[in-house]
Amino acid sequence: VTDVIARPPRYAFTATAVANCLGARTETVLARAFRGENAFRPANAYCDLPFETEVGVLPIDEGSQGEALDCAPTRMARLAFASARGLGDAVRAAADRWGPRRVAYVFASSIGGLEHTERHFAPFPPVPESPYAYADHAVDATSAAVARHLGALGIRMAVSTACSSSIKALATALRLLDHDLADAVVVGSADTLSRTTLFGFHGLGLLAPTATRPFALDRHGLTLGEGSAYVLLERQGAETTRRALGWLAGLGSSSDAYHQTSPHPDGIGAELAMRQALERSGLEPGDVDFVCAHATGTRQNDAVEGAALGRIFGAKVPVTGTKSLTGHTLGTSGLTAVVLALESLRRQEIPATLRADPVDPDLGLSVVRTLAPGALANVLVNAFGFGGNNATAVVSAHPHRPEQA
Amino acid sequence: MTKRDLAIEIEAASFFATDYASAGDALAGVERTFTAPRFTLLVGRTRRFTSLVTQLHIEVCGALPQANGAASVFATCQGEIQTAHRLIGEFRDAGQVSSAHFAQSVHNTPSGLYAMATRNTAPSTTLTGANAIAAGWLEAALVARDAERPVLLSIADEPVPSALGGPPEPGGVAAAFVLRSANAGARLTIESGEGGGAGDGDGDGEPQRSLELLARLVHAVTAGAAAAITLGSVLPGGVLRLHLPQRGAS
Repeated sequence: VTDVIARPPRYAFTATAVANCLGARTETVLARAFRGENAFRPANAYCDLPFETEVGVLPIDEGSQGEALDCAPTRMARLAFASARGLGDAVRAAADRWGPRRVAYVFASSIGGLEHTERHFAPFPPVPESPYAYADHAVDATSAAVARHLGALGIRMAVSTACSSSIKALATALRLLDHDLADAVVVGSADTLSRTTLFGFHGLGLLAPTATRPFALDRHGLTLGEGSAYVLLERQGAETTRRALGWLAGLGSSSDAYHQTSPHPDGIGAELAMRQALERSGLEPGDVDFVCAHATGTRQNDAVEGAALGRIFGAKVPVTGTKSLTGHTLGTSGLTAVVLALESLRRQEIPATLRADPVDPDLGLSVVRTLAPGALANVLVNAFGFGGNNATAVVSAHPHRPEQA
Repeated sequence: MTKRDLAIEIEAASFFATDYASAGDALAGVERTFTAPRFTLLVGRTRRFTSLVTQLHIEVCGALPQANGAASVFATCQGEIQTAHRLIGEFRDAGQVSSAHFAQSVHNTPSGLYAMATRNTAPSTTLTGANAIAAGWLEAALVARDAERPVLLSIADEPVPSALGGPPEPGGVAAAFVLRSANAGARLTIESGEGGGAGDGDGDGEPQRSLELLARLVHAVTAGAAAAITLGSVLPGGVLRLHLPQRGAS
């Protein structure tokens, strides 16, 4: 069964934007990520909790942007607009090229407006600025406002498959392009911190008491973060090619069919998604220059992903875990990693996995622990979620599959 | 006005409503005593802690064995909103949350449990939001055109808790369909005006009311009569319509 057929031609990423604990502006996030800066803070930077953990908080001043949001001024809306604003000129240019109704908008989130509902029903400072409407709880609560702001007046959809959401949204976007229902698609994602997820992951024993250490021998869980990421995906054309930051080469996805929160112990679903993405990219494992792993930092998840990576790539391909920089931003984590992968292609550098020393030798992985230069053309990005929902994207510097080049 | 057509075959359909015994009864307004889904596809521990919306999805999916091995698209306007409300109460009142409820708080909970119950490793996507029904149909039709096997489309919603301001409405409703790519038969039509501004169908409105629409869909598919049903907005000023031919006419 195929999820999406990534047939040639590939589609171009012509703009990206990202905001998270590393910064509220794309250039700040990228600069700090590639410098390997730690941006986590004790959890009381966000809320009081009866347990120890750290969080990645987006540095935005609540109340400073309310008048410009064109929707309820929730934290979710602030996160979404923090990135979306950075895409404005590029989307308007795409709308000029293709027509605004040929520019679709696909949004993804795991928890949507849950944080807004929490503020109203479990009091939390500051006092919410707007009266409660359950429509603001929904994943798509910001979609109409953001799409209007950007001038993307085409098809609008919202995807929510937990922590794989934003890579699944790329698959939805690809289908719209493949079937000529759009010429350009804005794919966006945002997820806030929330007390439900902090308490929930703590209850599952998956929350790290101190900053997360993906792939480390003594890794001890995940660190939650919040953020947003946006990309503009466009059909090939002379102008698109001129503007391309990289190309979406292929996607793969699968279901574990095993457990609601634990990955299949053999990583079968993860492996299936990665192999599909490679096949549809027209690439062999040896063509991949590095992997941006899901790498949550929990003992089981990293072990399972490591085993699947080992079966496909052996021990040589460099692997990095960017959640050590951004925290686990849930449904937004996949698209955040795609944006970082595109920046890697531009810089020809792989961002480091922080705090991975000493690496767990049982994983058999070549974990990138310091900023690593290299000749980079193809990057594989993983995102796995609750429900055993697995998704993989391959991002390439080249507009064509190898046999077409 | 521009139009785009996608041909699909609808192989099977199922319907469940807590307050109506059938799609026909729902359309006729013939209520029954609240009847919970049996969701027999789930057994043992996987049944525990499931929400109404998950039970509804599993009920209608379980009635369609034709979907075995299919890729799937789940659609829900509000997702696990009762579970979310419950979890907020738990940490507010008790300083902790139930791990079991948290594990089932994501929108794709039904998709994950369905995959487990049917041992189906095929891809699954969950669409949500105010236009989830229309978006789910569009997504499923596109997946069907890419896939070599059938696609399962499952749509369900549970009532929004009254504490969150949810409107008074029937208990819960779900429908599922097995779709295949086709060159003729049913057609999904995207019809869009050229205005494209705010207003009708801009997605700022209330979530689609599921009961009547899902009942009309299932009733029309099973009756085999020609019909044109508006599924909802998929773009500003544009709608997605399902055109069903009279059975045997295609």
